[in-house]
Amino acid sequence: MKWKHKDLLDLENLTAEEIKHILQTAIPMKEILRRPIKKLPTLRGKSVVLLFYEPSTRTRTSFESAAKILGADTTNFSVVQSSVNKGESLLDTAKTLQAMNVDLVIVRHSSSGSAEFLADVLNAGVINGGDGQHAHPTQALLDYFTIQDRLGSFEGKKIVIVGDILHSRVARSNVLGLKKLGAEVALVGPPTLLPPEMSYLGVKTSHDLDRELPGADVVMALRLQLERQQSGLFPSIREYSKLYGLNQERIQRTEKDTIVMHPGPMNRGVEIASDLADSVQSVIEEQVTNGVAVRMALIYLLIGGGVAHVVD
Amino acid sequence: MLWIKNVTVIDPAQDLSGLRDVLVQEGKISAIGENFQVRDVQTILGIEQIEKVKQIEGTGKYLFPGLIDVHVHLREPGQENKEDIRSGSRAAVRGGFTSILAMANTAPVIDQRALAEFVRLQGQRAGMARVYPVAAVTKGFKGQELVEMMDIRAGGAVGFSDDGKGIQNAEMMRLALEYAKMTGCPIISHCEDSDLAGSGSMRRGEVSARLGLRGIPASAESVMVARDVLLAGETGGKIHIAHVSTKQSVEIIRTAKAMGIDVTCEVNPHHLLFTDQDVTLTGTSLKVNPPLPSEEDQDALLQGLADGTIDMLATDHAPHTWEEKAKPFAEAPFGINALETVLAAVWQNLATGGKLTSEQVVKLWSVNPARRFGLAGGTLQTGAAADMVLFDSEYRETVTADSLESKAQNTPFLGKELKGFPIMTWVGGRLVMENRKIIPQK
Repeated sequence: MKWKHKDLLDLENLTAEEIKHILQTAIPMKEILRRPIKKLPTLRGKSVVLLFYEPSTRTRTSFESAAKILGADTTNFSVVQSSVNKGESLLDTAKTLQAMNVDLVIVRHSSSGSAEFLADVLNAGVINGGDGQHAHPTQALLDYFTIQDRLGSFEGKKIVIVGDILHSRVARSNVLGLKKLGAEVALVGPPTLLPPEMSYLGVKTSHDLDRELPGADVVMALRLQLERQQSGLFPSIREYSKLYGLNQERIQRTEKDTIVMHPGPMNRGVEIASDLADSVQSVIEEQVTNGVAVRMALIYLLIGGGVAHVVD
Repeated sequence: MLWIKNVTVIDPAQDLSGLRDVLVQEGKISAIGENFQVRDVQTILGIEQIEKVKQIEGTGKYLFPGLIDVHVHLREPGQENKEDIRSGSRAAVRGGFTSILAMANTAPVIDQRALAEFVRLQGQRAGMARVYPVAAVTKGFKGQELVEMMDIRAGGAVGFSDDGKGIQNAEMMRLALEYAKMTGCPIISHCEDSDLAGSGSMRRGEVSARLGLRGIPASAESVMVARDVLLAGETGGKIHIAHVSTKQSVEIIRTAKAMGIDVTCEVNPHHLLFTDQDVTLTGTSLKVNPPLPSEEDQDALLQGLADGTIDMLATDHAPHTWEEKAKPFAEAPFGINALETVLAAVWQNLATGGKLTSEQVVKLWSVNPARRFGLAGGTLQTGAAADMVLFDSEYRETVTADSLESKAQNTPFLGKELKGFPIMTWVGGRLVMENRKIIPQK
């Protein structure tokens, strides 16, 4: 398959075939991660800029590793040490990057649409590393890779996503692609975090986790922003945890070898109990590994097209 | 002296819609009649030489009373990088507006007589549209103390509003409605509960959920509309609800009118032309407050216009610099640049589209606002000031940054062709715009 997109902004514009192609490309990438010497010359001379306006250790490190393993040069353009703090606009930053003639920009920003905004200005490719509450496509893709790795396929699989759906770019992106891949998705959370307008996603929504668990092949807990409690969205961490927290006992309701996922970082004891997070059912650490492989695949597809085969 | 021949005159104030000749003398309408001959004109104007009368062939064109827009942000004093009174009032006459009400959310806020007089004076200096100041309700827009309403009215203010912010404290609003009775001017309410609106940037609904933008629920407006009409009813005060955008607001105002409460309201054309479905993550020219409505809300707004619940159209012309709008959606400021494009957009999409008649459009932008705010104008009756617009419904123009008199370009029509524009505008009989160009005044 010939890759034809300059950017990866969200999963809305990708077909199921394109998503599968990314996942397929990530398989040899994961092989490379197991090698003692993790370095390829594939993207030698290519420059990748990591433009992070929100603190993020995991996603940034994952992208940076992915780019470096493929041989690209990476530059960190993070909010603390740049002119962003001096009030430079996103537009001027984009123009600066354009002038530096970089090949790929990976952006994380607290405003929905910021990745699209950059992509409109830049000739370089743009990968959305998370924009506001809008999209986090690479997280969704690494989740799919993990599910495919464990379950083999998506058709007819039941996937329950539980937590703060309203504010979650992870949930939004995940649902878009999972529908395309043929999975059955149920979203679960309290009405304040899963309001009626989330119906746009066209999947089942519920406020009762225990009722949704039976038959679930995958249960994904979302990170709860604890400050949402102060803004009145739910009464207490205690009640939230009681209603929506995942634990060993609760997960048995699925009556299956369900896998448990979390995009990290976890609030242990809030949305997920430690015993479950560290159990054999948990694939949370695999998600991290797969994240690097999937991001390698994407970077390769976006800026490595036309060069020699990736695995030498 | 002026003789406009064989033009379709639409003047709802005198229930007139048909082919007429119009004569203007000494800045006033001196006669409207059918098929004037040279002899008639000489008699009416009391002159011998017909050459002294400028004759304008109006065949195929419309003549409206100069339009009145009760909701305009001219940004002066203090934000002249966005707009000033000169550029804004030039944009007004280019768009067919001969009277505009300038909102008070400038820097400083218009909360003293001297400031209101400054706005009026700057309008006179510009010599374009008549500029009427709307003063703040509370000092500094702080929502704590009333402005000196009587003094400011004497300085030229025709209404009071904390527009841009809204008065959160219900007791403050009640006191304002009560005190303002002395002035005879309406309180213009920007209905927005700031807690419900939060940091939202578009109407809350499926589109906001899909785009991951924080939503503003329709109730953020409607609960304040309900509060304010009840307070107007209780105090006997006079209220005008700015930029109505929800179905519930329309229903509440309809009920309030039936109860005999002294309430009027306006709708912004962009709320009739676009819905939340048109919002995209990078299309910040459609970021407005109140946000674009749902389709159901929009239907209710059109229904409210049809049955007279909604009294007038108003642009909420809100210019912003290009840089301010060149941002991700949530970070861009609210506001649409409207004065120069709005009549074409309304004509093309609503009047031609059958949603409003041309008579309604003119009524909603002339006699209705004039009556509510006690303004001269809004009609072509004999003896009225000759504030007039010659409108060519076939005139096509592509909207470009260079063509706009406004300093700002935050319009969704930029680069697009629109049809139906004013081709001549007169203020008090003075020609201020011809063939889409401003005529410099001596």
